[in-house]
Amino acid sequence: MNNKLKVLRAMRNWSQAELADRLDVSRQAVNAIETGKYDPSLPLAFKLARLFDMPIEEIFDDGSEGNGNV
Amino acid sequence: MSDTGKMSKTRRPMSPRRKRYWTALGIAAVLGGILGAWLQVDQPGNSTAGLALITNGPLTANFAIGASILWLVGMLVSMAIYHRSIDDHEERAWLWAGTAGWYVVMFAAPVWWVLHRASLAPPADAMLLFVASLIVNGVVWLWLKYR
Repeated sequence: MNNKLKVLRAMRNWSQAELADRLDVSRQAVNAIETGKYDPSLPLAFKLARLFDMPIEEIFDDGSEGNGNV
Repeated sequence: MSDTGKMSKTRRPMSPRRKRYWTALGIAAVLGGILGAWLQVDQPGNSTAGLALITNGPLTANFAIGASILWLVGMLVSMAIYHRSIDDHEERAWLWAGTAGWYVVMFAAPVWWVLHRASLAPPADAMLLFVASLIVNGVVWLWLKYR
């Protein structure tokens, strides 16, 4: 799943470690999400959405937009 | 790509979750140290007494009882703290590593057992299976957490 986490983090000038602290997860978790190796759980996705004050679907893109999937 | 460089400028205070995490790992490490040192003291004549724990050689009753209690209680406490402190990402690594470790036993144990019954292999060694499972578990956990 694609995501804009790295861009959003860079816009705030946060390191991976700083973002990890704000989310209360490890730096490895932030790195794995940014590089697409790990899709976060729903609670963590909501945490990210609240932190960046954006809807989840604006941060994550599952590539299904426009194909009729609900 | 990670940016570990940025975080090294200032030392961050540990969050409660990270404190619990390192406490759990610390308890496990101390336990290992105690067991190794105790084994060394228990068998002073043997310069490599620490290795006796991973062989099938005899142990004294005192050490065997003490080590069993330390392992059960220590691992129980350590694992309880560990599971309360890991995040989603590490939990996933833990679960897949556990699955991979179990597959080692699931595939190898029955094969070894039937081969032994046909006199084609020595008797199945539970501790060897345990160690093989532990190694696979550790490799998968490290790969999923740090790749």
